[in-house]
Amino acid sequence: MKKVLVADDATFMRTSLRMMLERNGFEVVGEAENGLVAVNKYKEMNPDIVTMDITMPICDGIKAVQMIKEYDPNAKIIMISSMGQECFVKEAIISGAKGFIVKPFKEDYVIETLAKL
Amino acid sequence: MTDNMDREPMLEMFIFETYQLIDQLEQALLSFEKGAGFEASINEIFRIMHTIKGSAAMMLFDNISTLAHSMEDLFFYLREERPENVEPSKIIDIVFEGVDFIKAETAKIESGLEPDGNSEQLKEKALEYLQHLKNSNPSSDNAKYEAKKEGTKESHENVEQKYYISSSKNTQKLMTNKYEAIIFFEDGCEMENIRAFSVVHDLESVAEIISYVPEDVMENSDSVQTIRDKGFKVVFKTDLGLDEVKDRLYHTVLLKDLQVFLTDDDLEGFEFIENKEIDVEQKEAQSNTEKKNIVLDDINEEQIKDFDKKSESGKASLENVKEQLKTVGKQSVISVNIAKLDLLMDLVGELVISGAMVTQNPDLKGLTLNNFSKAARQLNKITGELQDIVMSIRMVPLSMTFQKMNRIVRDMSKKLDKSVELEIIGEETEVDKNIIERITDPLIHLIRNSIDHGIERSDERLEKGKNPTGKLVLEARNAGGEVWIIVKDDGKGLNREKILERARVNGLIHKPEAELTDREIYSFIFLPGFSTKENVTEFSGRGVGMDIVTKNIEMVGGSVQIDSIPGEGTTFLIKFPLTLAIIDGMIIAVGCNKYTIPTIAILESFRVKNEAVIEDENGNEMIMVRGECYPVVRLHRRFGIDTEVTDFNEGIMIMLESEGKRRCIFADELLGEQQVVVKALPKYIKKVNAIAGCTLLGDGDISLILDIDDIIQ
Repeated sequence: MKKVLVADDATFMRTSLRMMLERNGFEVVGEAENGLVAVNKYKEMNPDIVTMDITMPICDGIKAVQMIKEYDPNAKIIMISSMGQECFVKEAIISGAKGFIVKPFKEDYVIETLAKL
Repeated sequence: MTDNMDREPMLEMFIFETYQLIDQLEQALLSFEKGAGFEASINEIFRIMHTIKGSAAMMLFDNISTLAHSMEDLFFYLREERPENVEPSKIIDIVFEGVDFIKAETAKIESGLEPDGNSEQLKEKALEYLQHLKNSNPSSDNAKYEAKKEGTKESHENVEQKYYISSSKNTQKLMTNKYEAIIFFEDGCEMENIRAFSVVHDLESVAEIISYVPEDVMENSDSVQTIRDKGFKVVFKTDLGLDEVKDRLYHTVLLKDLQVFLTDDDLEGFEFIENKEIDVEQKEAQSNTEKKNIVLDDINEEQIKDFDKKSESGKASLENVKEQLKTVGKQSVISVNIAKLDLLMDLVGELVISGAMVTQNPDLKGLTLNNFSKAARQLNKITGELQDIVMSIRMVPLSMTFQKMNRIVRDMSKKLDKSVELEIIGEETEVDKNIIERITDPLIHLIRNSIDHGIERSDERLEKGKNPTGKLVLEARNAGGEVWIIVKDDGKGLNREKILERARVNGLIHKPEAELTDREIYSFIFLPGFSTKENVTEFSGRGVGMDIVTKNIEMVGGSVQIDSIPGEGTTFLIKFPLTLAIIDGMIIAVGCNKYTIPTIAILESFRVKNEAVIEDENGNEMIMVRGECYPVVRLHRRFGIDTEVTDFNEGIMIMLESEGKRRCIFADELLGEQQVVVKALPKYIKKVNAIAGCTLLGDGDISLILDIDDIIQ
C-alpha cells in the first residue's frame, strides 16, 4: 500500500483527501497543517507520495516542495491547487512537483493522479 | 465532491472549521484595523478566504465560495500591489459584512437548512472596491498584477514571447529520433495549460523540445480552450525509442487520448488528428499560423542576472523557513468530537465511583488486607492521574472567547459612536470546554451592556474630566478551585435609585428596603423582565438578557456579583468552578443521612465543648475560635433531620469559608474524604435550598452535596 502524507491547512480538505485515498487503497500516514510540518513529517515518515496544498501559513506549499526535494530528490509530490493559481503550480512543477489536482476535485481524478506516479 | 462521499462528517467538519477560520479572520481583521502587522494580516486574511473558498466549493456552497473568492481577489491585490490610498476601515467593513454573511450561512447549514442567502451584493461590493483601488492606482502595477493573476510570472513587456526553457543537459547529446505527440486531457480536469506545461517539463529531462502548440500555454488563458478542443501538440528530439516515449507519455496524469509518431518535419509536420484521421483543412490552417520556436541556450545576460537574483532571494527565504523549522516544535494536534470527550469524562467519573465501591466495599470492613490495600492505593493513584489527564484535555484557554469580544466592542462603539478601548488580561486562563460554551453569551451581553449603558460618549466623559476613551477590562484569573472572570468598565456606574424604583414597580422587593445592601439592589438587574433603559437600542435594553446571563452562568455552577461606584464604573465578577464533574468531597453524617461538602470550602474541623458556644439575644448560636466569633449552623436543624447527636460535645464542628465569609456547621461525624462525581439533581426535584447536587458514594449510598454559598449567606 502506498503511503501518503497529506499537507493542507484546512482540516476539511485533509479529511476529504484522507477519506478518498483510504477508500482507494492508499494509506494516509500523516497530515500536515503547514509546509514546515509537512517537511518535518516527510523526513520522519518517508511517505511514497505527498499531496501539497499551495496556500498554507508559515511555509507555503512551494517552499515545502523545494525543501523536500532538497532532502529527497526522488520525492513524489502532488500539488493541490485552486483555479487561478496557475503560476504557482508552474513554479511548483519547476521545483519538482510531479503533478497537481485542481480544487474542487473529483475522486477519480485524484486517484488517477496519485496512481500514475 | 463525488456523490459517494459521505457528506455528514464532512459537513460537520466544514462547519467546525469555517467557524474556526472566521474567528481567526476576525482577529486578523482587528489587528489589520489597528495597523499592527499590516502585511501579516493581509496575508492571513487572504489565506483564510482562500481556504473558505476551497472548502465551500467542495461542499457545493456556491454563495459562500463566490463571496470568499471575491474577498480573496481583493486581498490578493492588496498583498501583491500594496496600493496606496487604501482605506482600511472601508475594507474592513466590507470584509466584516462578508464574514457575517458566511457566519449566517454556516449557521443555516449547521441547523440543517439550505444556505440560500444571496451573496451577490456583497461580492459586488468587494469587487467594486477592488476596481476602485485599481483605478486609483496607476496601470503599470496593474499590468503586473494581472499578469500574476493570469498565471505568468514573467512580465508582459517581454514582447518577443520566446520560451527560455532552461537548457537541459541532454542538449549536448545527439538526439536522433524526432517525434510528435498529441495529447488530450480528461474532460473537466482543469488547468490544461499547466498540464501541458508539465508534460513539456517532464520531457525536457530526456528530450530536446523543438516546439509545441498552442505555443502560449502559460500566457494566454485561451490556450486552455484550445487544448481542450484540439489537444496539445509537441515536437521533440530524443534518443528514446517509440515505445519508451509512448510509455513515458502514457504516464501523463489524466490522459484521455495520446498519439505519438516518428516524424521528420518540424512544425509543418504538425497535424491535427481527430480519431486518427488527418484533418487536411486544419493542417493548412496550422501551417499558416505563425509559430514561435523555442530558443535553447540563448539566454541573454540580463536574464541570467535576473534569474540569479531570483534564486538568491529564493534561497534567502528558504533559509528563513529552515530557521523556523528549527524553532517550531513537533507538536501534532488532533481535533476530537466533544461528545466523545463528554463520554470519556462520564466514564472516568463512573470509574472513580466503581473504584471507591471496590476499595471501600462494606464486605471488607474489619479485615486486614495488606496486599489489597496496596493494590487499591495503586488503583486510586492511577484513576486520579487518568482523571487529571481527561480534565486537562477538556481545558481550553479563554483566549478565543476573549478575543471574540474585540469584535463586539468594535461594532458596538462604532454603532453607538462611543470610543471604547478593551483591555484583556489573563486570557491564557484555562477552563472546561463546557464552561467556555456557556460563558460566551453572558460575556457578550455584559460587554454590550457596559458599552451601551455604562460608558458615556466622549464629550460627556470629557465634561466629567475622564479620559474621552472609555476603558473596558476583561480579566480572567484562577482563584483556588474557581475561575473568576471580571468585566469592568469606567462608565457612569449603576443608578441605585432607578433600579430600586423599577424593582418596586415590578414588585421584586421582598425585604424591607432599608435592609437592602447595594449589592442586593444591583442584583435586581439580573431578575427576569428588568430593564431601566427607556429607549431600546439594537444591542441591549430589551429587558431580555440580563436574567439569561445569570441563568447561563448558574448552569455551569457559577455566580455573578456586581459592584458599582456612581461615576466611576461597574464591575461584574463571574465565578465558576474550574471543573464541574468531579470534586474532592468530605462526607459527613447527619442522622442517617450522608452529606458531601466540597473539600475546598473546609477550613478546619474540630470538636467543641458546650461552653464554647454562646447565644445572642435572638437565640442565634455563635462560637469563639481564636478570638473570632462565628455563627453556627446546625445541619440537623437546617434540614429538619432527626438525630441523636444534638449535643456539641458529641458531634463535630466544621468551619467553612466562601467569598471571604466564614461560618461553622455542626454535624454528627466526619466519615471521610472522597472524590465524588457531581450529578445534577433530577429535574423533577425543584431547586432545593442549600443543596448543589448529589453524588453516588462507594457503598452505593446517595449523598447530597451542600451548597456552601447558600449556607453561608
